[in-house]
Amino acid sequence: MITLYGKAASRASRNLWVLEELGLEYKHVPYDHNKGETKNPAYMAINPAAKIPALTDGDVAMTESLGMNLYLAQTYGAGKLWPADALGQAKCIQWTLWSATELEPPAVGRLMQLFMTPEDKRDMNQVQVFAERTKRTLDTLNIALSKSPFLAGNAFTVADINVAAVAEYLVRTKFDLSPWPAVQKWLTACLERPANQKVMQMKVAA
Amino acid sequence: MKIYGSIVSRASRNAWAAEETGTDYEVVPLDFRKAEHKAPAFLAINPAGKMPALVDGDVVMSESLAINLYIAQTYGKGSLWPAGAKDQARCLQWSMWAGAELEPVAYGRLREVLFKKESERDQSVLDDLAEKAKPLVELIAQALKSGQFLCGGAFTVADLNASCVVEYLVRSGFELSPWPAVDAWYKACTARPGYQKVQDMRAAAIKAAA
Repeated sequence: MITLYGKAASRASRNLWVLEELGLEYKHVPYDHNKGETKNPAYMAINPAAKIPALTDGDVAMTESLGMNLYLAQTYGAGKLWPADALGQAKCIQWTLWSATELEPPAVGRLMQLFMTPEDKRDMNQVQVFAERTKRTLDTLNIALSKSPFLAGNAFTVADINVAAVAEYLVRTKFDLSPWPAVQKWLTACLERPANQKVMQMKVAA
Repeated sequence: MKIYGSIVSRASRNAWAAEETGTDYEVVPLDFRKAEHKAPAFLAINPAGKMPALVDGDVVMSESLAINLYIAQTYGKGSLWPAGAKDQARCLQWSMWAGAELEPVAYGRLREVLFKKESERDQSVLDDLAEKAKPLVELIAQALKSGQFLCGGAFTVADLNASCVVEYLVRSGFELSPWPAVDAWYKACTARPGYQKVQDMRAAAIKAAA
């Protein structure tokens, strides 16, 4: 049985999206680390850093939200979120690392400044630096999505979820995506999928 | 298998993975100073113009740590890629962790040391990043309580991808000695013949460029 730890309004939403896409049975333990709920010995045996999300599945215990999605796709998503061809698989791994190392730092950095920092402490210079970095990542994404409808080819895969779930921060912070039409079209299609809509409802409900 | 990029760049990680799996490979060096990574021939392989990139038959990909996962999953059964879901999950976890958590801190320190003269270095930046590195190194120490390597008894791509980033910390002057298990693990990783061979390639490339 798969158990996912972490409240829906956290990076656990990325994993909920994959679990819902694959129609897997799972138990959801909606820990909130800000309320200290993760600082118990049983959970810290799974994740000594006491962060969310984390996942257990039989003897598997792991952290890192985007890595967990790769695990779920490789284990349960053959022919669905995990493509059959070597190139498609390589692209899934590539875009997952790219999302975490290239896209997420400026996207989250901007979100933190705009939403989590009081206006008088906000560093608009930093916001601008993050925006410039974001633009370069969107250039890269737009080139890829001009060649194929999805990141690993013609079908929707874990590559799309792992990048779209991070690009969603840009939507939330009202980043103007219109200069990158292929990205805009793709992102809308990804976020409108029923599995993601269900997760969005879970976030609102919680 | 062709690895595009200067051996002095993150391409060295991929050469190391290729060495560990005993896969035939060729390094196609790109000269950063001549902006060969921004030339049309390379942009056809990686439109972002960043090295390294890998071409292996139909497969064309970038992102050094992802390339190592690909090499491990494709050619590393019995070497870099462990059997069993538990350890495979750990390889994915530590690779993501190395890129997302450790590298920004470790590379931040290395950049300060590599690209600035000693007189221009901002010690407060180095100190701040050292503080951020400590809980990350502590996390490796916690994981090494159950074995010499991150998946237990055997060296895997988890160790390769984590230790090649820890290398940046070490090169920036960060001391691992307060974490003896991490210190021993790092020494065991970097003593491996595959790592040593790539170090020799790097040294030769640096000497040739001087």
